[in-house]
Amino acid sequence: MEYVYSVLILIGINIIMASSFNLIIGFGGLISIAHPIFFALAGYCSAIVAMKSGVPIPLAIVLGTLFSTALSVALSLPSLRVSGDYLLIASIGFQLGFVEVIKNIEFAGAASGLTGIPPLFTGPLRSPAFVVTILALAALVVWLVHRMTHGNYGRAIQAMRDDEECFSSLGRNAMAIKCAIFAVGSGLAGLAGALYAHYSQFLSPEQFGIIQSGLILTMVVVGGMGTTAGPVVGALLLTALPQAITFVNLPTSIMAPLQGMIYTGLVLIFLYVKPSGLMGKRARE
Amino acid sequence: MSAAIRVVAVKKHFGGISVAEDINLEMKTGEILGLIGPNGAGKTTLFNLICGIHAPDDGEIYLREQPLSRLPVYRRARLGIARTWQHVRLFPTLSVFDNLLTGPREYPGKDSPARAAAILERIGLAAARDKMPGELPFGQQKLVGLARTLMNDGEVLLLDEPMAGVEGQVYETIKQVVRDEAAAGRAVCVVEHNVSFIRDLCTRAVFMFNGRIEQSGTVEELLASEKLAALYFGGKK
Repeated sequence: MEYVYSVLILIGINIIMASSFNLIIGFGGLISIAHPIFFALAGYCSAIVAMKSGVPIPLAIVLGTLFSTALSVALSLPSLRVSGDYLLIASIGFQLGFVEVIKNIEFAGAASGLTGIPPLFTGPLRSPAFVVTILALAALVVWLVHRMTHGNYGRAIQAMRDDEECFSSLGRNAMAIKCAIFAVGSGLAGLAGALYAHYSQFLSPEQFGIIQSGLILTMVVVGGMGTTAGPVVGALLLTALPQAITFVNLPTSIMAPLQGMIYTGLVLIFLYVKPSGLMGKRARE
Repeated sequence: MSAAIRVVAVKKHFGGISVAEDINLEMKTGEILGLIGPNGAGKTTLFNLICGIHAPDDGEIYLREQPLSRLPVYRRARLGIARTWQHVRLFPTLSVFDNLLTGPREYPGKDSPARAAAILERIGLAAARDKMPGELPFGQQKLVGLARTLMNDGEVLLLDEPMAGVEGQVYETIKQVVRDEAAAGRAVCVVEHNVSFIRDLCTRAVFMFNGRIEQSGTVEELLASEKLAALYFGGKK
């Protein structure tokens, strides 16, 4: 049963990550892959605050999320002046640099990782409590992203993504919308990171690299970019599928590359056969 | 008629190429000003300077007494400068109606749906409100672009080649809308190659060439000008 709980928790975390990433890349059209860094920032912040100052863990999670949001705003102001390929390159640079910085900060555990993070729940009902909390928050995040991307604000986001210059010429402040999308998306990734830190009780720089960016991107692409349900389906599928393969008793030397091949293969198949993803509709253009 | 827009000694260069050289121009309320000249003359660049896509290297542009040069594009639109684009630029993933709803100065605006519906009715596209732009013929797309601009309800209307690629009923509708908007007190400026459109509608015209205003006056004066014919059509100077 413990195994099922752990898979459900991972699914919940990945739904938050994929939905928030979809807000930025799918709805906002902002090609930034540094999403796992905001997950890491909040995770480290929440863990260190809880460990060093004894702040109650729920409050530490909120602080971690706010820290991640605030840093994303600071980063977005210069970064979002560029777009397209330039934003992508800037985000890759930020991600690679940040991982190297964490590797050299002693009080964050440096390269060997941060251990001894206090858990959010303890006791015999620890795992079910985590499952309920994380899945409830995942549902809340999906609802929030849906609300933000529909109605008047959603229309503005869509128009901004379609043609930023034309959008501005109608009196809309494209930069403010881009910053808001980036801040909310990064803040939600931070929420996932803080929850994860107090669940796994261990963080290491290796958990937030380019590989993780690729994994979240795969969830969004396979599920359906720019749709509410797509990242949920993508996160479910790409968290459960590798777990299912573990039941086929293959040696580890085959298992690890096989999982990598599944991710890569799925992206290639979907980009070729159904670029709009499982939940995406064909554009009525 | 008072000047809604004043362009004063504006200069703009892209690298070594001058695209606006000492431009001085007034757009008056209730007037339809024609902006003519060959491709590359700087007409669209002048629109881009007025609405803030490009910043001038020198000079100033005023909306009434308000200098515009330091204001970003969206702030100028909120002051009432609305424009269309040569290549329409509708938002392809939004319906016709939603395209119009992105247009008001104050977004989203309480009365926007009613205004959008009324504008679509006025241009004869009420039945197309839920269609996607790509489902419409090019002429109707042009109309939707114009309709989205009307949602701004501002004092200045800049129309970039509104008649390019349109004919028949759409042509007549655009002509009527332009007339009505000027009659309602807006300053309308039209970049257009269609001479009959300019002749029928414009009270005054300006001829641009190589980033300069070569001549301005009534449409008849310009059309009779040998200089214009020489520069525009390559006749004898």
